[in-house]
Parts: sequence; C-alpha cells; structure tokens
Amino acid sequence: MSIIEVKDLTKVYGEKSATVTALKSVNLSVEKGQFVAVMGPSGCGKSTLLHLIGGLDRPTSGSVFIDGKDISTLKDDDLTELRRRKMGFVFQFFNLLPVLSAVENAALPMILDGVKPEAARAQAAKWLELNQMGDRLTHRPDQLSGGEQQRVAIARALVSEPIMLLADEPTGNLDSRSSDEIASILRRVVTKWGRTVLMVTHDPRIAAYADRIVFLKDGQVVDDTLLEGGNSDNSRMVKEKVEQL
Amino acid sequence: MSVRYSLLGLLAQQPRYGYELRAAFLALAGGEETWEVKPAQIYTTLNRMVESGLIEKNSVEEEGADDKVIYTLTQSGRDELQNWLSQGTLDDPQQDAFFLKLMLSLELPEINPTRLIQTQRSTLYQELHRITTLRDRLHPQTELARILLMDKAIMHLEADLRWLDMLESRLEEVQNQPHPRPELRPRGRPAKTS
Repeated sequence: MSIIEVKDLTKVYGEKSATVTALKSVNLSVEKGQFVAVMGPSGCGKSTLLHLIGGLDRPTSGSVFIDGKDISTLKDDDLTELRRRKMGFVFQFFNLLPVLSAVENAALPMILDGVKPEAARAQAAKWLELNQMGDRLTHRPDQLSGGEQQRVAIARALVSEPIMLLADEPTGNLDSRSSDEIASILRRVVTKWGRTVLMVTHDPRIAAYADRIVFLKDGQVVDDTLLEGGNSDNSRMVKEKVEQL
Repeated sequence: MSVRYSLLGLLAQQPRYGYELRAAFLALAGGEETWEVKPAQIYTTLNRMVESGLIEKNSVEEEGADDKVIYTLTQSGRDELQNWLSQGTLDDPQQDAFFLKLMLSLELPEINPTRLIQTQRSTLYQELHRITTLRDRLHPQTELARILLMDKAIMHLEADLRWLDMLESRLEEVQNQPHPRPELRPRGRPAKTS
C-alpha cells in the first residue's frame, strides 16, 4: 500500500501573464518503509512537491493521498492535525526555537497537541537519546553545533511517532562529516524505526543513502531509479512508464 | 605494473614464500573486491623479476616436506623500488565508454542523448549507493585506510555526476556543432602528370 500517492499534481504560481508552472501533472507513489530522495536542478519543483505532500501548500490541480486519505478534502484544522500526527518535518536551517532547550524544542509538537509537558518531555528525551543527544538535553540551540541542532530537529520530527518524515535539504547547512551522520540517521529512521522518509536534496552523496531517487526537471518526473536491486520488476515498470512520457 | 612494484615493496619488508605474496598483496591493496589478481599473474611477475635480477629465488629445505621457494630482494630490486616510490603517479587514462556512446547517440536518431545521460546518471547513483553502503560497514578505528579508499571512489563518482550535469546543460550546443568526421586519404596511385 502506498503511504504517499500523488496524482496529476500541478502547481502554478502567479497570475495572468506572469505565471510559473512549478509542477506539471506529477504522479508519484511511495510505499511504506521506503527512503526516497527527490533530486533535480534548481527550480525543478522538488521543494514545491515536498510542500504539497506535507500539506504546507495547496495544489492548483491534482491530488495528494496520505495513508489513503485525500488531503485536499480536509479543512485547515484537520490538515494541521494530520500534519502534526502523521508527519515529521526536517528543514535545512533546523528551525529550532532559540529560547528553548533541546528537550523543550523536541517536546513542542506534543505539547501543542495537548499532551502533558512531563510526558512530552520524557518522550522527547527518549528520541534525543536515540539520536545520541542524551547528554545535551538542556542545551539551547546556540550551544549546539549544526549537526547537533539537526539531531534535535529530527528528534522533534519523530516525537509524535509520525508515519513519515519529510526532509527539505536536511544537510544543506552542514559540513560533509555532519551531513554523512545526519543521512545515516535518516537511513536508520527507515531501517530501524520503520518510518517512511521523503527527502529533497541536491547532494549526490546524501541521496546515495536512499533506496530510490526520483529525478525532477522543469516540474516533471524524468526518471525514477531504485538504488538497490535496480533490475527489479518495479524499476522496469517505472522505466517503461517514464519512457511513455 | 603496480603489482610488480608492490611485490618488491613487500619483499623489502622481509623475504617471503611465493604463496604468501598474493595474500600479502591483497591485504595491502584492500581486499579482493578492490584488486583482482590471479596466482598465475603473481608467479609470472616473480619469474620475470628473477630474470631481470631484481629478486632472488632460493629453495629452503624442510624436513619431511617439499622444498619451499623463498624470494629475496636484491640491491638492484631495492633501487628499482626506490625509483618508483620517488616519482608521482597518474592513473592510467581510461577509455571513456560513455563518451563513445554519447558521440554515437548524436549520429543515430534512434538513440535519445538525454535518455542516455539519465541512464548513466542512474547507474552512477546505484554505484554510489553500493560504495556508500560498503563504507558504512567499515570500522573507523581499524579500517580507516579502506574507508579513505572508498572516499576516493565516492569523490570520483561525485565528479562524474557533476560532469553529466554540465554535459546535459550544454547538450544542445554540442548537437549543433559539426560532428567528428575522419579524414579520408585518397587511395591508389597518384595520376600521372606528363
């Protein structure tokens, strides 16, 4: 069963004579437990695709199904709740609150969801420990390195036990050693903790940690490659589909 | 050639039995997956070096067993090794099969050059994934040398991928330029001028 299903997705920005088509009838299917990287040149629509899948923006036409549910039919409040319960987000610039400690940052989504602060903090501490941040629970972001801040962000993304993680250039602001560590963690999120990860990246070295790469160009899917067992039926089927485009 | 000099290097450490040398070479090079070398190749190389006076071959008597052959480095071999070590090394230029495919695709209408580039890109990513996975399994405390070797392979693949991006962005320009044509020389005897 597909955990993410994108059908004929189109996003056009602007009006009248000044429009930009960021995505053009994109179709995509992600199975549960897959680690998918989305790549492509600047302006190819990869971040737009991630935002639409995450319900952070609405499409011009087409639909997004998360765990079988068409998210375009959801009202804003329901969409927000779905996002908080089923999805975890990881961004390039970490997006941590500077006044909160690591454990407070990681606990925030649960607290916003009405969970008691002590329970939320315990859950946050658990995920921070799993990310090797157990000895830095009380540190604030300005006391942490880039790699450490991103580990807090990943713990925060996992604290509500979401079914998927959406990452937008998660290593874009990190040196190569930290980048490898974060990519390793994201791989563990899939192989060890059983989530699905969809990651936008422009870094080939980081994309190589994924199971599958979807290539976008000018708002369309131009290729879809399995990185392991590349000659499987699924990969051939996808190749044939792409050749028809 | 590197195998030959590596054997000299291994013998510079200590004299060795023939059968040890292949194992010692593979341990040095990073394992069989990194460097394929058949036992026959090792023995042929050793014999050639004996003929050139770079190494010496001696039989060692063993009680109740066949005589074993032991190899030792000569002064000439030592000089040859030093010479090799003191020079810089350039990798053998590889004949680029992908480049040939690309040039052919410009001539044959049934092959789409963009598709060719994308297929190559996918292949490189599969290889990058394979090496990254191998690298991840190595222990930084005991296998750092092999990790660094994997890092080199990874960097080369990253460079190849960057080249493909560059190629793709300039493909149209390449297509519009005159295609390489061989120079044809006139055949047969030149006409008489009388």
